Amino acid sequence: MSDGGDNGRPEPRDSRGERPESVLQRRLTLADMLDVGTFNELVKGFADLYKLGIQVFDEKGNRLAYIKVGNGDFCGYVFSFPEGQRCCTQTVARVKGGPLATTQNARAPQSAAGTKLHGMITVPCFTGLRYLVLPILWEGDVLGRVVFGPFTPEEMGELPTSLTDLTPGIDLAMAQSYLSKIRRAPESTIVKVLLHFAQLLETLVAAGQKTYLTSQVHIEATLESNRDLEAQNRRLEQMNVQLKDMDRLKSSFLATVSHELRTPLTSIIGYSEMLAEGLVGSLNQEQTEYVRTIMDKGDTLLKLISSILDVTQIEAGKVRLTFEPVTVGDLIASAITSVRPQAQKKGLTIDMKLPGRKVEARADREKLRQVMVNLLSNAVKFTPKGGWVQVLVTEVKFQPEIDADGWRFVVQDSGVGIPADQLEKIFQSFYQVDNSSTREFGGAGLGLAIVKSYVEGHGGVVRVQSELGQGSRFEVILPVSPPPPRAVISPPLSEAPPSPPERF
Amino acid sequence: MQLNHAQRELTVKVVYYGPGLSGKTTNLQMIHARTAAEGRGKLLTVETHDDRTLFFDLLPVFFHTKGGYTVKVKLFTVPGQVIHNATRRVVLQNADAVAFIADSRRSAGQENNSYWNNLQDNMRENGLNAAQVPIVIQFNKRDLPDTKTDAELEETRARGKEPVIGAVAIRGEGVLETLFAVLQLAYRKMDEQAGLTRNLGLSEAEFLKLVFARMDVDGTQVRDWLAAGGGPR
Repeated sequence: MSDGGDNGRPEPRDSRGERPESVLQRRLTLADMLDVGTFNELVKGFADLYKLGIQVFDEKGNRLAYIKVGNGDFCGYVFSFPEGQRCCTQTVARVKGGPLATTQNARAPQSAAGTKLHGMITVPCFTGLRYLVLPILWEGDVLGRVVFGPFTPEEMGELPTSLTDLTPGIDLAMAQSYLSKIRRAPESTIVKVLLHFAQLLETLVAAGQKTYLTSQVHIEATLESNRDLEAQNRRLEQMNVQLKDMDRLKSSFLATVSHELRTPLTSIIGYSEMLAEGLVGSLNQEQTEYVRTIMDKGDTLLKLISSILDVTQIEAGKVRLTFEPVTVGDLIASAITSVRPQAQKKGLTIDMKLPGRKVEARADREKLRQVMVNLLSNAVKFTPKGGWVQVLVTEVKFQPEIDADGWRFVVQDSGVGIPADQLEKIFQSFYQVDNSSTREFGGAGLGLAIVKSYVEGHGGVVRVQSELGQGSRFEVILPVSPPPPRAVISPPLSEAPPSPPERF
Repeated sequence: MQLNHAQRELTVKVVYYGPGLSGKTTNLQMIHARTAAEGRGKLLTVETHDDRTLFFDLLPVFFHTKGGYTVKVKLFTVPGQVIHNATRRVVLQNADAVAFIADSRRSAGQENNSYWNNLQDNMRENGLNAAQVPIVIQFNKRDLPDTKTDAELEETRARGKEPVIGAVAIRGEGVLETLFAVLQLAYRKMDEQAGLTRNLGLSEAEFLKLVFARMDVDGTQVRDWLAAGGGPR
């Protein structure tokens, strides 16, 4: 597709499947816009108030509301005669489903002059009663109809022959007494009541339409946002997989290159050593100095390459720790020895403070030594001439950071310090606080990444505090009993947590 | 366009699109005010307390043709705030034409552009071919300081094929002209697709005449356009 992820736009619609038709494209029915339960209560209140039967139908003839008032006995009695039943059924069908026009026995209602009738019709019943029918108009559509009645017209006297002829043997007194329960009023009055009802209905439909459309559009918009987010997630996942592949490639490339560099470098250092020791004839003082420089620089390079190899090993998940009893004092003394020459060159003092008795820890000797060497060489590197470096080891006690008993190994210095906003980043591989080409301090930015991985491999954590210009304090908190060695130490990059197993 | 031959009904959808507070709702309010009640429905509008459209506004305008068809023109606005893009896309679905309401002030140029691009994106997202959905540009708020000059509007007009109309929607100026322009283009597109002249017996002139029959076009160019036939550039 032409507009993929790189420009941040969502994918075109077709790639995300069909979307159901929006409610805005659909023709709404009366039932969509009215809350039928509430509407029935309102109709009932209205019917009771005006003592009139009310029915409301949608455009397909489904009844949405039906309240009978007063006519039950009379209509029931008429219905008990066979012809009465036939004519009654016919009238009801006319009222409910017949055309909303003055045809098929319907006529225009009697009303006060100038009344706007909005398409209302009168449908007379053969009993002399009457119905009024009003179309429900909405945005130019007929959505249904309201039926008022039956009611007794004010002017009606005796029961008409259209009834008595069809119902031989009808008890007129009884019929009249039933009839008296039905609302008697001038037609024009009922017309007014119906028009009032229509106004009320219009307000209800308007409010209902608003609620219905907005809630539906809100749902559609939410689904739409959701589809966008899903598409974006898929793109991010793909990118993540690509990035991980690239990262693995990088590590593997570094491992190969470092290894290939180390082999010739070892020869360079070896041959320089032989030259310096005069194995192939004596050198003058200047020559010896040059050769020693070659050796020194070669050593620096070898250390760097070893660090890169360590990191690539960690990143490739190939590092395995072996725990054994380690005498902490010896280990720290040995680490100090390896940085002593650089410290002496800068005139730095290095102290060591250990707990009184001989302390023995369970650790991977080589890796823990590497941790201390890396921390110490940083301290020496970043402390200006005449400063100090101190190594402390505390007594075993409860360490909240690891929620277990353990030691704190502290390396602190009076060096340049680390800016507060960089404290989080210094443990990342290849990160340098000063990344400029003219920076004062060398290094590849791997030492602390290695420290973090190794310490975490021991079940411990590294903490740092620093103040610019005052110095830095690194604390390695190690548990007394390290966890059973895992097959691998995870790389210092944070990985996404594994997804929980699927429940169904 | 929804053409239902069984119900003899044609529904046209026009969407007013544009940056927040550019005057989309005002356009609909003015059309509502100028249309007789028999020719329109209620103006449905959902606004927040600060006069921002929350979902959309809807104003239906309708008429009957000589051939017995009911024509409903549904005018929608979209919410202008950036966060409501999903709602904009939902409302834009199946639009027959778009009125793009831009703010004429020079300071709004960037906003206008960004919503123009957003419109194109959302059209494509909805499977609408931007080349086939006609758009009319309204430059609203011509009365405010810092507004673009007529010459600058000419430049904008020259840069694209869309008709450009200046407006002060709050005073009703340019509102019916914009509606005329957008419906004229919508008609032409629908006529091409569904042969309205042939199948419904509804010509462009008849369509426009019937739409505006119940609107008060006094003092607008629409009156001249209707009388003489024609329309904006």
